[in-house]
Amino acid sequence: MKNWLLASIVPVLLLGCASADFSIRTLPPETHQPEPAPLQDADVVPEPDRAPVTPADAPPLTVADPWLRINRSTYRFNAKFDEAISFPIANTYRRLPSPVRSGTRHFLSNLSEVNSALNYAAQLRFGPSLRSAGRFVINSTLGVAGLFDVAARMNLQQSPTGFSTTLATWGVPQGPYLVLPLLGPSTLRDGVGLIGDFGTLYTINVPALYRGTESWALNGLTALDRRANTDFRYYATGSPFEYENVRFLYVNRGLIEDERSDRMH
Amino acid sequence: MGSCSRFALLVATSVLLLGRPASAQNLGDGSGAGLPSSAALRATVYGPAPTDLAPLPASVPLEEINVRMPWARPVPSVLWFDRRLRAWLSAQPGPAPLVIVISGIGSGGNSAKQSILRGALYGAGYHVLTLPSPTAPGFIVSSSSTGVAGDLTQDGEDLYAAIRHILPLLPARVQITTVDLVGYSLGGANAAMVKALDTTAGRDLIRRVVMINPPVSLLASIRRLDQLFVASIGPRDADIENLYRRLYARLANAYYESGAVQLDEGFLLRAAGDILRTDADLAAAIALDFRLSLIDLFFVGDLYAKTGVVVDPQHLQDVENSLDGIYAILRTRSYSEYFARVLAPYYLQHRPGSNLEQLAAANDLAVIGEQLRTDSDYYAQTSVDDLILNDAERAWLQNTLGSRLAVYSHGGHLGNIGERRQISDLLAMLAGRWPDHTP
Repeated sequence: MKNWLLASIVPVLLLGCASADFSIRTLPPETHQPEPAPLQDADVVPEPDRAPVTPADAPPLTVADPWLRINRSTYRFNAKFDEAISFPIANTYRRLPSPVRSGTRHFLSNLSEVNSALNYAAQLRFGPSLRSAGRFVINSTLGVAGLFDVAARMNLQQSPTGFSTTLATWGVPQGPYLVLPLLGPSTLRDGVGLIGDFGTLYTINVPALYRGTESWALNGLTALDRRANTDFRYYATGSPFEYENVRFLYVNRGLIEDERSDRMH
Repeated sequence: MGSCSRFALLVATSVLLLGRPASAQNLGDGSGAGLPSSAALRATVYGPAPTDLAPLPASVPLEEINVRMPWARPVPSVLWFDRRLRAWLSAQPGPAPLVIVISGIGSGGNSAKQSILRGALYGAGYHVLTLPSPTAPGFIVSSSSTGVAGDLTQDGEDLYAAIRHILPLLPARVQITTVDLVGYSLGGANAAMVKALDTTAGRDLIRRVVMINPPVSLLASIRRLDQLFVASIGPRDADIENLYRRLYARLANAYYESGAVQLDEGFLLRAAGDILRTDADLAAAIALDFRLSLIDLFFVGDLYAKTGVVVDPQHLQDVENSLDGIYAILRTRSYSEYFARVLAPYYLQHRPGSNLEQLAAANDLAVIGEQLRTDSDYYAQTSVDDLILNDAERAWLQNTLGSRLAVYSHGGHLGNIGERRQISDLLAMLAGRWPDHTP
């Protein structure tokens, strides 16, 4: 793994940093097969007596952004870093055979089930908590250390949660919009949530990969897997207002999700 | 990359919420009153029925190209990310004809429509190169010689220069026999202009051109779009805010009622009918999509032309500065305003002796009418209910192109792209065997 990473990083750095007048790079082939969209349904039926959202409930069209100056600078840094480092590595990774990538993806998401189970419990949602725990047990054993999502075929669908949602459940608001270095758009609460999730995994350390040298490989692989599965490219349309558009979508989607998990209690 | 995956879904959210599938420009019927027909709006937003889609290859190779143009001007720091022109190439293994696909107003070089056309053309044995519209910020900053996009001739010259610069830089393994152009919407007019310039220059680099739903008079089409915006949304910022609030509430409620696990693209596709309910909603989505393109074009044009409508030429923006105020102002600005306050002042100043009427007349396919009439290598496709044309303009296309025009009975603006019939006609036109082909 290490050799492979190194082998891909070196040319990437050379390519990424060169200010060539002409460059060409191979992307994964474009596929036109309609992907079978899994029709997943939530386990909890929303309370029927809750009043519907009205137009007056919508947040303002221009999102409040008290940390705008630093956020905009970080956004630019992230875009440049992604262009030079993350995207080229992920692009190379995405050309590996699909079973390798899906195995990696399942392996990593299986590890996060432990965190989901604990957070669901902290949200007092014991059904989903048991489901996450069950998924972890089934996929770690029958699914060969999580490489295959056997549990999904047993109708135990993945539905991850994390510390930020737990905080939301206990009434903590999103807080200001925050662009995290390397990690991208977030809010204060989502940022704290990420630290909480990481801390949980580090503390319980199941399996024993979250401490010591192995943790670097694991975290690197996690980052790579996330980036490779994210169909986003900074400034793909070249719009001067991309920062504003991304912020609008991130914050509003977060508010809609918060309200939904609130309605599920 | 923590939050990035969410982020992709968010982008998808906007795509659907704002009717992105329909790409940028769609317009009213020109008479001012009322909206275009329900069928035209529906086709424009949703495209062909899934059962009518032409089959596309399961997998199409794709390469990304970044080019710095030798004539590029200094790039303002607020546009640092658009220094290079980005294009996408799908190359055949052996010698093959090349089709260059130009997108519609404000769109980049890898739009959803281009992806469909790329698949169909690659499947038919062409190399395919997709380019942004000359009105897309990525093109304006990297490749425009003025920074003020939207003038048919100037955009044609810039696009032609960009094509001539890129083709010799392609790797030797890409063996090109001939070069054809396909453009949709404004890109259709751009493509025709490029061929006309090519013919005039005596280079004969470009063989055939197919225009998909082109405008005829740019200003007339744009005026219809402005009218569509006012008719479906309203002229004031408060109207835009109201539309946003209405759509937000519908989206949230549809999501809470659905029991869907995630607010993702799959959910949005299923919920689209609940969110965009009436003809006015569909029209608003179309008009808003166009407006988002215009906001980019307006900002970049005003910055380069130093016309000072929203960008103070004395105090240029820096990366850390908020663009919220400018964004809010530009939401309410129409294309007609862009023409009157940025494009016209700039070009009148740079073309001594010209006047507004000449400028308007120059932004019409009629300026290359003679070539369109006499050169049998120009083709076009349109529909009887294309929102950007009126009957007189459709008749002009018919009279000018004669049998080289395909007119569909449905599809609105760009709503036929990817349909079996549209694709087979496109391939026949590119092969020079339209209209006498047997499907």
